[in-house]
Amino acid sequence: MAYEIILLTTMAIMVLFALSLNVITGFCGQVSLGHAAFYGIGAYTGAMLTKAGWPLLAALLPAAGLAGLIGFLVGLMSLRVRHDFLAITTMGIAFLFVGFVRKQEWLGGEIGISGIPAFAFGRVGLLVVAVVCTGLFAAVTIYLKRSWMGFGFDSISDDEDTARILGIDVPRFKLWAFVIGTAGAGVAGALYAHHVRYIGPDSFGFVESVTVLAMVIIGGIGSIWAVALAAAVLSALPLWFQFVDDYKLLIYGLLVFAVMRFSPNGIAGALQSLKRRAR
Amino acid sequence: MLLNVSKVTVQFGGVTAVADLSLEIGRGELIGIIGPNGAGKTTLMRVITGMVRPTSGRVFLKGTDITGWTIDQRVRSGLALAQQIVKPLATFTLAENVALACGSRRMGSPWRAMTTLDRKAELEQAKALLELVGIGAAAHDYPSEVPLGYLKCLELARALALEPDLILLDEPLAGLNQAEAAEMADRIAALVTDARSIILIEHNLREVVRICPRLFVQDHGRNLDFGPTQQVMANPKVRAAYLGGGAD
Amino acid sequence: MLALDLLLQGIVQGAIYALIALGLTLIYGLLRILHVAHAALFTLGGYIGVIVTNQTGSLAFALVVSMVLVGVLGILIYRVAYKPLLGKSPLVALIASIGLFIAFEEGFRIVFGSYGLSFEDPPLRTQVDLGGGLLISHSRLLIVGMAVVILSILAWLSTRTRTGIAWKATVTDPQIASSFGINIERVRYLNFFIGSALAAAAGVMVVLLTNLVEPTMGAVASYKALAIIVLGGLGSVRGTLVAALAIGIVESFGTVYIGHILDRDALAFAFLVVALMVRPQGLFKAD
Repeated sequence: MAYEIILLTTMAIMVLFALSLNVITGFCGQVSLGHAAFYGIGAYTGAMLTKAGWPLLAALLPAAGLAGLIGFLVGLMSLRVRHDFLAITTMGIAFLFVGFVRKQEWLGGEIGISGIPAFAFGRVGLLVVAVVCTGLFAAVTIYLKRSWMGFGFDSISDDEDTARILGIDVPRFKLWAFVIGTAGAGVAGALYAHHVRYIGPDSFGFVESVTVLAMVIIGGIGSIWAVALAAAVLSALPLWFQFVDDYKLLIYGLLVFAVMRFSPNGIAGALQSLKRRAR
Repeated sequence: MLLNVSKVTVQFGGVTAVADLSLEIGRGELIGIIGPNGAGKTTLMRVITGMVRPTSGRVFLKGTDITGWTIDQRVRSGLALAQQIVKPLATFTLAENVALACGSRRMGSPWRAMTTLDRKAELEQAKALLELVGIGAAAHDYPSEVPLGYLKCLELARALALEPDLILLDEPLAGLNQAEAAEMADRIAALVTDARSIILIEHNLREVVRICPRLFVQDHGRNLDFGPTQQVMANPKVRAAYLGGGAD
Repeated sequence: MLALDLLLQGIVQGAIYALIALGLTLIYGLLRILHVAHAALFTLGGYIGVIVTNQTGSLAFALVVSMVLVGVLGILIYRVAYKPLLGKSPLVALIASIGLFIAFEEGFRIVFGSYGLSFEDPPLRTQVDLGGGLLISHSRLLIVGMAVVILSILAWLSTRTRTGIAWKATVTDPQIASSFGINIERVRYLNFFIGSALAAAAGVMVVLLTNLVEPTMGAVASYKALAIIVLGGLGSVRGTLVAALAIGIVESFGTVYIGHILDRDALAFAFLVVALMVRPQGLFKAD
C-alpha cells in the first residue's frame, strides 16, 4: 500500500508540473527548456519554510509566489528572444539557478537540504494535498483555455506577429502565461520537496527540464488531458521498469524517440487520427 | 487631424529609404499612395504601423504621439492593417480569425481576457463581417481550405473587425484579375465613412485613380506630389518619374 | 603569468567547443534542428579513440577510424531519425533528439560499463615551455593545432572545391541551391558526416586531456554546444567559432575570479543570457 501511495503522489506532482509547463509551451507556444528551475525554486522555498517551522500548506503560497515572481522576471527577459533563442535562454536560466544554488551555503550548497519535515498528516495526507492541488490547477487551465485569454494564447502560439496586428497585447499575455506556469511549477516543487524530503541542486537540472518538456510534447501540445496522461505514465515508467532495472533509461529514451518519430503530434494527435479513421 | 506623419526619415545602414516625409490625413478620406518599386512606400507604411522605427520625425494618431508605440498598441487605439502577403492564423477558422480581432480592443487587459468566457457575440459579429466582404459561406473553413481571393477578403474583414479609424491596405488588389480587382476596389471605396479613413498602397494604377480622390506620390524615398488625383496625374514631374519611368 | 595561462586554457577549451559546435551549427543551418544527440556522437568518438589506440598503439589511426565511423553513424541518424520529421515542428525533432541522446548515454553505460575507459599508455603527456615558464602539454598543443588544421581544411574545401561551394550554397539557401540543380539530399549527408566526424575528433581530444571517457561525458557538451551555436547566431559558422572561443575564455577566467558565486557551467550561461539580452539574434547574423 505504501508503495502505491508513493507512486500516486509522484504521479500527481509530475502531472501538476507538466500542466504548469503546458500553460507556457502548450497554450502560449513559448518553449522552455528550463522549467525545472521554477520547480526547484518552489522546492527550496517550501523546504526552507517548513524547516523554519511553517506548516506545509502555508508554505505552498510563498513557494508559488516566489516561483511566479522569478517567472515574471524571466518572462520579461524572454520577450526579447524568440523560438530557438528563447529555448536556449530558458535553458541558460535553469543552469544559472543550479549554478547559483550550488554555491550558496545557506541553501545547503552541493549537499542540498536534507531532513525536510514530513507532512503533518502523513503520506496519505500528502497524496490528498497533491491530488487536490493538481486538480485545482487542471481546473484553472481548463478554464483559461476556454477564456478569451486562451483564445489570445492560441493566436500567439499560431503566429505572434499576426496576433499583434489583430491587436493582441502579446507581451502581457506572454507574461501572464509565464507567471501562471511558473507559479504552478513552484507548488509542484514544494510538494516534491516534502515527498522525497531531500533536495539538492541536481534534483532540478537539465534532465528534469527536458523530461517535463517531453511530457508536454508527448502528450500533445496544449491538450490538457493528454498532457496529464503522458505525465502520469512517463513519471511511473521508470518505476514500472524496475524489473529491467539496468535498461530502464534506455527504454525510456527509445520510447520518447519512438513516440516523436511515429506520432509527432503526441498522444492527442494519435487519438485524433484514430478517431478520424473510425469515422 | 486623424493621422499626422511629421518629417519622417528612415535609414537602414547607410541607405535612406524614406527622406523627410510628411503626410496629414483627416477623417473620411481615401488616399492612394503610389510610386515605383523601391520608392519607400512599404517603409512609410511600416513607420505608420510601428514595424519600423523612424530615424527621425514623429507620428501622431488622433493627436497622440505614437512614434514609440508597438503595433498592437496602435491597433488598439484605432489603426488597422491588411497586409499584402495574407497572414491568416492557420489553426483558426475564418470566423475565429475575425472574432479574435472583434474582441481584441476590449481584451487589451489580460485581466479582462481572463474573466471573459463568452465568444458568441464576437463570432456572430465575425460572421456578419465575413458576409459583408462576400465570403460568409466559408466562415467555418480553415484558411488552408479556401482560395487566395478569400484570404484577401479575410484580411479586410479582420481589419474592419478592429473598428478602426484608419485602415492601411497594402496592395489589396495584387494577384487579382481585372474583374476581381474592380470589385475589390469598389468594396474598399464603400468602406470609407465620415469617421473612417483608408490609406491604399497599390500598384494597380487604374483602380487607384478610379477610386481615390487624393494621391500621394513617392519616388526614391521622397514625396513628389500630394493632392487631388487629377492635379497629381497632370504633374509633369510625376509623369516623368513614375509613369514615363517605365515602371508598371 | 596567471592571465596568460588562463587565456591558454580558455583557447584550448574553446577549440574543443568549436569542433563540437561546428557540426551542430552546420546541421542547424541546413535543417533547423537542434541536434542534441550530437553530443552522444562526441562521446562515442572518445570511446572509439581510446579503444582503437589501446588495440593498435596509434593515436593517429584511432582518430581517423573514430571520425569515419562516427561520421557514418551521423548519416544513419539523419536517415532514420530526422528525415521523416523534417516537415514537423522543430520541437518534435528536438524531443526525438533528446530521447535518442538519453538512449545513447545508457547504451554506452551498458556496453562500455559505468566507470569509463582510459588509455593504457596515455599519449602526449610531456610538456613544452612556450617561454617565460609558460608550460603547455603536447596534448594541448595538438588540440589547438588540430582544430586550426581541421577548420582550415574545411574553409578551403568550402571555398575552393565544387562540392564545397555547393555545400555552402545549400546551407545558406536550400531553395535557391536546389533550383541550381544541387542535390540537397547529398549535401545533407555530407553535412551530417562532416559534423559528426568533427564531434568525434573533439571527443578524442577531450579524452587526451582528461584520460577518461565516461558514458556521461556528452552531457555537458550537449547543452553547452547548444549555447554556443545560439550565441553565435544559429547557423553562422564564423559566429560559432567566435562564440566557442569566447565561452572557453570566459569560463577559464570566470572560474578563477567569480567561481565562488557561480559554478563553471552557470558562468557560460550567465554570459549567454546577458549576451542574448543585448543581441537577441546572437553575436552574428546567420550567414
